[in-house]
Amino acid sequence: MKSKRFEILNNRPVNKDGFIAEWPEAGFIAMASPYDPKPSIRVIGGAIVEMDGTPRDQFDFIDAFIADYTINPAKTHFMDISSAVIAHKLVDINISREEIINIASGITPAKLTEVMGHLNVVEMMMALQKMRARGIPANQAHITNVKDDPVQIAADSAEGALRGFAEEETTVGVARYAPLNAIALLIGSQVGRPGVLTQCAVEEATELILGIRGFTTYAETMSVYGTEPVFIDGDDTPYSKAFLASAYASRGLKTRFTSGTGSEALMGSAQKKSMLYLEARCLYAAKGAGSQGIQNGSVSCIGITASVPSGIRAVLAENLMAAILDLEVASSNDQSFSHSDMRRTARTMLQFLPGTDFIFSGYAGEPNYDNLFAGSNFDAEDFDDYNVLQRDMMVDGGLRPVSEEEVIRVRETAGKAVQAVFRYLNLAEITDEQVEAVTYAHGSKDTLPRDAAADIAAAESLMRRGLTGLDIVKALYETGFEDIAQRVLNMLKQRITGDYMQTSAILDEDYNVISAINAPNNYKGPGTGYRVGGKRWEEIKNIPNIIDREGI
Amino acid sequence: MHHDEALVALVTRIVLEQLQNTPSRSQNPKEVVIGVGPAYGTGGAKTINDLSHSAVLAEIKAGIEEEGMDFSVVQVFKSSDVAVIGKEAADLSGSGLGIGIQSKGTAIIHQTDLQILSNIELFPQAPLLTLAHYRQIGKNAAKYAKGESVTPIATQNDPMIRAAYQVKAALMHIKETEKADRNKPTQHYVAQSATPLMKGGQN
Repeated sequence: MKSKRFEILNNRPVNKDGFIAEWPEAGFIAMASPYDPKPSIRVIGGAIVEMDGTPRDQFDFIDAFIADYTINPAKTHFMDISSAVIAHKLVDINISREEIINIASGITPAKLTEVMGHLNVVEMMMALQKMRARGIPANQAHITNVKDDPVQIAADSAEGALRGFAEEETTVGVARYAPLNAIALLIGSQVGRPGVLTQCAVEEATELILGIRGFTTYAETMSVYGTEPVFIDGDDTPYSKAFLASAYASRGLKTRFTSGTGSEALMGSAQKKSMLYLEARCLYAAKGAGSQGIQNGSVSCIGITASVPSGIRAVLAENLMAAILDLEVASSNDQSFSHSDMRRTARTMLQFLPGTDFIFSGYAGEPNYDNLFAGSNFDAEDFDDYNVLQRDMMVDGGLRPVSEEEVIRVRETAGKAVQAVFRYLNLAEITDEQVEAVTYAHGSKDTLPRDAAADIAAAESLMRRGLTGLDIVKALYETGFEDIAQRVLNMLKQRITGDYMQTSAILDEDYNVISAINAPNNYKGPGTGYRVGGKRWEEIKNIPNIIDREGI
Repeated sequence: MHHDEALVALVTRIVLEQLQNTPSRSQNPKEVVIGVGPAYGTGGAKTINDLSHSAVLAEIKAGIEEEGMDFSVVQVFKSSDVAVIGKEAADLSGSGLGIGIQSKGTAIIHQTDLQILSNIELFPQAPLLTLAHYRQIGKNAAKYAKGESVTPIATQNDPMIRAAYQVKAALMHIKETEKADRNKPTQHYVAQSATPLMKGGQN
């Protein structure tokens, strides 16, 4: 006989997820591999000559980079504090963020990993609430669709901006679409809310060119890895990544690095180390390269980290480690990993409740079938759930309720603006019917087909003709979209002032920079730090689906 | 200036070996090169979508032939990365167009003048790829080689694919990476004769 209860349980969504037992030899272990090194450091004449059990003459290029550029040799006496005591300091509200950052400047990746091992998830959340760089949390959207339809990108980015996302990221199904997707996102975002930052995640040289041309206003896909073979597979080293970061900085663009647990195991080169220890090495490399921030939290490898015991705890630990290193943290939540609504929501609460600089580094601003990062953890169909979660818990998750009328209005305006720019610059044709379909669409299943070959030819022509962000401004201005032209121009001006390159910077609707410099996190226990209140609380409270007392 | 003579000699020897053993770039402008990963055709010899490696390769070849173009097949050992495999194939191709395919079935259309991590078309979600897709990949690569204006294959996307397949993909990729060797040159691909199925699904 078969048990009916087990039949029901076997069919639950969570049992469609992939799980695997710990296997340290292949790197399938979240936080403490028996092969992880013991923390150690030795300094001679101001130079680090041994780190985490490895003498300098046996350093790989990641060790050497961290020893030379990340760890402050004058602060290595902090290695003498026990990991348990540092863990206590992290959850102690009487110990300031600055004191923790000072300690972190002199300890090694293995030491920081060991500190995490002393913390449970509630303690990690308490620590993250204190260690987040910016006072006010924010949120980032993914804006993509399977057709690479620039009209839909414009409309979805306008709606996303209206809903409160401070940053929006697109990518491509077909690589050659990149320039069109980038400009559609740039225009659409500014229709929805002035000051939203945008990026287009593609191959690094292309992405840099898009930034230099002014088609994007930030970049975050500078990936670093925790073992040498994985770095080399990407044709890279920490030094080349630092050089790339400098290239962006020289042109005044905001950037952050990307890393995450599980990537080394997925790529088959984990060197028997735990996922968290390898991620610590990534974070130290990013810090040493001078990055202001990181996107981390397993990111696209979440299926690996989530498959092992304590994996979701490790994902929170990696966000916390990044904050301890004084990096802006865009804390993932951007990739689907579970069939279970319960499990995916629980995973996100670990960042949502304490707050991070960007709770999602890609909340799907479209239905997940259109999400070209292979699905995000939350998507457009979860907008109302998310707004209710903010209201239930009095938490600022970076989004706000909106009305159908205003959404339709910005979607239509964005579509028309992109249509006008495409016509003015003699790119591909966009019909009125396409704009109308996109205005009222949920996803690409509701839109009209586009001529992909013609779009790709237009993208190539856009690059070949040497057009820049200023040509977009001109096109908007000449076609009757003076207000949007001004907004895009104001975004380009950020590149000249450079203030938004400070840690954790976002822009408000008047283009004021809000960062860890002028709006730092000053949490010191109950009643301190950023609290939801005033106008923002009224906005969060005011969801559309409220019972009308008078109507009863 | 100080020279490490031993290091110079070692680097020189490795470079010379690689140059001698690498197939040179074809002069045939009608040719599309298919590059397969280091473990292709070995072990279970099936993609993550349970398609046999020989059937997948046959479909890609047929797609290229349908467009009146030629093919050759090489096995890349220096990396298990699909972009490296595809770029290597493109670099050896007389037309400059190459197709890369990993043992798990992930595929790419690459072109010799692009950066490694860029591509003409990428098919990252191997569990969704059918034999019909592989035939179309062959056709499209051949059309690009002819200089036609090509409509890319519609993007396949399943937002739950990571939850369902990422662990299996990692295990397959570990096996492929074990066969990779940075210093082993690319070779003309020789399909292994069909090996008897192992009991209990080992290997």
